[in-house]
Amino acid sequence: MNEKLKPSDIHQGDSLPSVVKHVTQQEINLYAEASGDFNPIHIDETFAAKTPLGGTIAHGMLILAYASEMMTKAFGKSWLEGGKLSVRFKAAARPQDTITTSGKIDSIEFKEGISYVNCSLECCNQKGEVVITGGAVVKLQ
Amino acid sequence: MKNKESNSSPVSFKQLPIGYEFPSVSYELSASVITKYLEAVGEQPDILKSGIVPPLAIAACTMTASSQSFTVPPGSIHASQELEFLKLVPIGTTISCSGKIAQKLERGRLNLIVLEINALNQDGEKVLTGKATIAAPD
Repeated sequence: MNEKLKPSDIHQGDSLPSVVKHVTQQEINLYAEASGDFNPIHIDETFAAKTPLGGTIAHGMLILAYASEMMTKAFGKSWLEGGKLSVRFKAAARPQDTITTSGKIDSIEFKEGISYVNCSLECCNQKGEVVITGGAVVKLQ
Repeated sequence: MKNKESNSSPVSFKQLPIGYEFPSVSYELSASVITKYLEAVGEQPDILKSGIVPPLAIAACTMTASSQSFTVPPGSIHASQELEFLKLVPIGTTISCSGKIAQKLERGRLNLIVLEINALNQDGEKVLTGKATIAAPD
């Protein structure tokens, strides 16, 4: 699929360009600094080891950024200024996980001359476990 | 991320009622914050190399800034997220945040808090809106 889709390029059932990322503790720490979210479950290995999670986990919004990257690759500016998403965080992503983000176009609607593309998306770890699942809608510019 | 305004000391979310509106906070999406963000999330599409802020960066910073007036217990996790991106945001934009506690629910030993957030640019235009659900242990 091209970097940016045109309405004529889009078809129901098309796959979106997948994104594969390896998660590291260093990136989680950088994300904490950039976002200001210093919840110890993300950055304090001693604290996190004593919780039911047994270790640090990535910020959900860090993993969700991979899904937004996929949507940006597929829809460019239309996603950045006309995108909507709704997701559930199903499982934790941990340092050293490899997260694959994938998606597909479920349907295309036309309302008052504007195309709305409905997509489903999923982020899975290297074991195939779903970390994030949900949907997105793009208003094509 | 450094806030330009912040008000009173944070209190436990349990003390805040449904409908509680967060104190107004603003912050700058500076080049240094966005550089750090991009290092954390990795390589990005070309359109985001031209001074446009990734919308998830705005969402993350706005959630953090909006929720500084209350605390949740350590070990709290993000359960779900809704977001809508309304305008392109260039690096250097000052974002004003508003938001409220939309819902509080109990699910067994977990407390669920639903936060509504809005981000406006310096011209007062809404650039992002969203809803986050946080699951906090008792």
